Amino acid sequence: MKLIINAIRKHLGMFLTAIFFLSIETMADLLQPTFMSYIVDNGVKEQDIGKIIQYGAIMLGIAAAGALGAVMRNIFASYTSQRIGKEMRADIYKKVQTLSFENIDRLQASSIITRITSDVTQIQNFINGTMRIMMKAPITCIGAVALIILQTPQQLPMMVLIIGIATLLIGANMKLGYPRFGRQQRKLDKLNEVSREFLSSIRVVKAFGAEQQEEEKFGEAAAEFSSAGVSATRVAAVFSPLINLTVNMGIVVLLWISGTGEAGKIGRTMASVNYMTQVLFSLGMVSNILNAFVRAVASAQRVEEILQEEPVQKDGANQGGPELLCPRGSVEFRNVTFYYAGTGRPSVQALSFSVQPGETIGIIGPTGSGKTTLVSLIPRFYDATEGQVLVDGTDVTQWSMDRLRENIAVVPQKALLFSGTIEENLRWGKPDASGEEIVHASKIACADEFVEGFAEKYETSLGQGGVNLSGGQKQRLSIARALLKNPRILILDDCTSALDASTEASVLAGLREQAEGMTVFLISQRISTVMKADRILCMEDGQVRGLGTHRELLDGCPAYRAIYESQIGGKIYG
Amino acid sequence: MDKNSAPPSTIGGGRRGLQHVVKPKDMKGTLRRLWELTEGKRKGLGWILLLSAFTSASAIVSPLLIGKAVNHIDAGNPAAFLILLLASLYICDWLVRFLQQFFMASIGQRMILHIRKTLFAKMKSLPLAFYDKRQHGELMSRLTNDVDNISTTISDSLSQLMTYGFIIVGIFFIMLYLNVYLTGIALLAVVLIALLTRTVTKHTRRLYARQQAVLGRLNGQVEESISGLSMVKAFGREQEMIRQFEESNEAYCQVATKALIWSGFLMPVMNVINNLIYVLIAIASGIMAAKGMIEIGMISSFLLYSRQFGRPFVEIANIYNTFQTAVAGAERIFEILDEEPEPEDIPGAIDLDNPQGEVEFRHISFGYLPGKPILKDVSLSIPAGTRVAVVGPTGAGKTTLINLLTRFYDVEEGAIWLDGHDLREYRMEDLRKTFGVVLQDPSLFGTTVKDNISYGKENVPFEKIREAAVTAGADIFIRRLPQGYDTVLAQGGTALSQGERQLLTIARAVLADAPIMILDEATSSVDTVTEQRIRRAMLEITRGRTSFLIAHRLSTIRDSDIIIVIKDGCIAEKGTHDQLIALDGEYASMYRTQMGMN
Repeated sequence: MKLIINAIRKHLGMFLTAIFFLSIETMADLLQPTFMSYIVDNGVKEQDIGKIIQYGAIMLGIAAAGALGAVMRNIFASYTSQRIGKEMRADIYKKVQTLSFENIDRLQASSIITRITSDVTQIQNFINGTMRIMMKAPITCIGAVALIILQTPQQLPMMVLIIGIATLLIGANMKLGYPRFGRQQRKLDKLNEVSREFLSSIRVVKAFGAEQQEEEKFGEAAAEFSSAGVSATRVAAVFSPLINLTVNMGIVVLLWISGTGEAGKIGRTMASVNYMTQVLFSLGMVSNILNAFVRAVASAQRVEEILQEEPVQKDGANQGGPELLCPRGSVEFRNVTFYYAGTGRPSVQALSFSVQPGETIGIIGPTGSGKTTLVSLIPRFYDATEGQVLVDGTDVTQWSMDRLRENIAVVPQKALLFSGTIEENLRWGKPDASGEEIVHASKIACADEFVEGFAEKYETSLGQGGVNLSGGQKQRLSIARALLKNPRILILDDCTSALDASTEASVLAGLREQAEGMTVFLISQRISTVMKADRILCMEDGQVRGLGTHRELLDGCPAYRAIYESQIGGKIYG
Repeated sequence: MDKNSAPPSTIGGGRRGLQHVVKPKDMKGTLRRLWELTEGKRKGLGWILLLSAFTSASAIVSPLLIGKAVNHIDAGNPAAFLILLLASLYICDWLVRFLQQFFMASIGQRMILHIRKTLFAKMKSLPLAFYDKRQHGELMSRLTNDVDNISTTISDSLSQLMTYGFIIVGIFFIMLYLNVYLTGIALLAVVLIALLTRTVTKHTRRLYARQQAVLGRLNGQVEESISGLSMVKAFGREQEMIRQFEESNEAYCQVATKALIWSGFLMPVMNVINNLIYVLIAIASGIMAAKGMIEIGMISSFLLYSRQFGRPFVEIANIYNTFQTAVAGAERIFEILDEEPEPEDIPGAIDLDNPQGEVEFRHISFGYLPGKPILKDVSLSIPAGTRVAVVGPTGAGKTTLINLLTRFYDVEEGAIWLDGHDLREYRMEDLRKTFGVVLQDPSLFGTTVKDNISYGKENVPFEKIREAAVTAGADIFIRRLPQGYDTVLAQGGTALSQGERQLLTIARAVLADAPIMILDEATSSVDTVTEQRIRRAMLEITRGRTSFLIAHRLSTIRDSDIIIVIKDGCIAEKGTHDQLIALDGEYASMYRTQMGMN
């Protein structure tokens, strides 16, 4: 809610201007029946046609002013609400860019996306609404009630009663409706989740012949959503006709009282009836407004959650860290332990080792032994829970985040590409790279051959996430992208898994040449891949089991020997 | 009163109001199909429509009664009878509205549920080719948004159209009966409103189309950059991403503002027209009453009528737009319902009771896109119980071979035979049960580990699940999870490592205990120690069964009875490990490279 208020406050001028014009428009609506009563009481009753035309002219003038107000408030309201929506989207987006992975893991990427898209729209529509019907309805209601009392003072007790009953009904409606709408929303989320899961696992569903099972799951979720929908709509079905009835009874009572009271001022009674219908319409809006309000508040909460999120990591640049212009690329782990948030066991534990600039370190070890975790501590994707990670002798948390990451390139297990041309994707590594540099990097990554095969070569457009490429092609482009960056520290996280053996071998050979002087972390499942590294780090259960050359580990590290034997066996082909 | 200027939601949601209207291609045909589709679920709809007609009664009659009452009051006569009549009219109105809305809720939802289930039932029968061509997000929005849109059409629009239709006709005749001249003025409103609506919708339609396009770009950009945030950060591209975002954001804001302003004009201007007519009627009826041509109550009646006469026209225009959007949504649903499902079992399909696993590929050719064959004239005969390993470069057609064997896709030319019959002669259900499959990308579900392993089966005793996990080498890590086998996996199983996820899917295949096992690169990101375990498990469960193993690591396939090397869509070599090494061809060279012996 604070979020909405703040957003409005930021555009207060525009907002108030819109409200001002809205008030003119509403006033114009409200004044019409009053002048109509003058026409009746002073014109018709006195048979004075001049008066009728005179009041009629005033009414026309008022209608014109109302028209002006309506047009202006529409422009101001549209403009303001769209600006607010735009700024809010940008705020979230920028905020997310500053967050740490731990925050993102917690919030979940998909949920952040819906907050930027649909939640902001919800809020934007609400704010737009406040400058339209949402303000207009209450103003009309209050104005109409006031004018009824002014025109026909004897109606005061009746009006108090009507408003009292209506308020009670609306309150009850809200109290009963709110939790039901919430439930409906949750059931919708569930339904979406079930469909998403079905769609993304369609192969497994078919392979296991589980269509029936999925259909039942879906049917259940759909049925729950439907019944939640029925119970939510039924609340409105009970209350909205009741509110209608209350106001209509007001008209009945109004006529009754007028009939028993003094005659002669019939125009006033007519105006009051007119005002009652205006009250009826504005009360009819109340439940709509409340629904929009409830939805907007829920959305605002979800947006606020992101905006209030504090990046878990602090940037060393703000703490007077060193400004190393030419890092050399040494890396040291000092007794590092790391827990992912919310997990009970450490992913890596008491890691201590150091790597010289220019060294290639192979990392091998069983699934879940902490290889990826280890390397993600270097570019500060996560920060060590205990101990220190040092680059060039300085704790990474003391580095300026930008400077640190500028000097590190990561090629992840799962290649992530973005929509745009191939060239645009590669330029991520170096925005001002020349054509030759791009081709050169692609050649090393063995990407050039298939890129040249495309009709538009490097200008080939990739769909969202690079959908039109095979896994192996994506991996090769992702390697080329990292190479273009020419980093001091290169992290290759099992990024050749989708390549066949000979392509992999030629990529690695090219890398070795290019990576002269680069510190390289090479994670792989295959012993043949890491064998040629300067030293190999053998991991198991988040701990270092051995660190040394292939030979040394074969002799001294049983864990390594086990892997070796499983892959290559005792015999050497020759 | 501008009731419908309640905020329309423009992004995604697709609620109602005057917003983005997508025109249906074949309104009449679609409506007829929709009608047929809801067969049997429309119970009570007729009553609801009848009640809707009654809700118009109060709008039509009450101004007349009020006018008469005003006449009596003005003349100082008792109006008790008229007022009581009015009160009972309002009470009836309340009752009718309540009944209508209350029952409409369940009838509408019943139809939605039915359509949704029908759609899903259809989707589950569609072949993989359908899913491979489409985005999941789009399909999801058909299951949710489009279906909901249809419901708003059926339950709301239909009854509202009914009500407003009656109101318009009713009020028109009463006004005509009361006074021709004043009716003429009221009709003027209709003409003005019609003109206005035409102008506004002409503009908004074009603007909304543009808005939708820009929005697509914005949403795509957000989705991509946030789900790929790790790379954005690793490459320090935050600022560039923000710049791109702000560009699309600004573009969207501009076109959306324009669209909103144009559509926003409709309601207030409509209100102005109503006010204008109100004034004209006040003046005209005032003059006529002053001249004694009409009674004073007539002014009251006509003023109330004029307010109520214009509104239905606006509403109908609105409802019609919603209606169009919903019908277009219905068309998208019918598009899916019209998709060719997986081929039906041929008449007299054979039951595959006790499959042996003798597989023969006979001159098969296949490509996903016309003119781009992946497999060309492949022939291969595999005796029952053979362990087959398939190797070859990326994109050579290894996975395709498996897609054809499991009938995820059907061969274009040639045929695959199993136990002496063409695959297509078997019942699909039996055929799929014949295969235990571990796929490249491990898909897990957001349920417990236990349920994930027993996926596709019901009431599996826990002991069997555990056994399968032990065989797959997954038991060890599962027991280390917080709730062991009852641990609920996060969406898509993200809390597990890639290797752990694969172990789970292997356990799933183990439990399936199928006569033919298929492992598609399942071991590519499992570490070698774990892989050893899996290999042992696979040896165990493939004993006596036909099995296909696709792996990159040649070390994993040495136990195979036969190794097939696929290259450029053809079988380049085939034989045992030793034979192929002796052959010193493609395989031998791949093997040497992998063992680091070049």
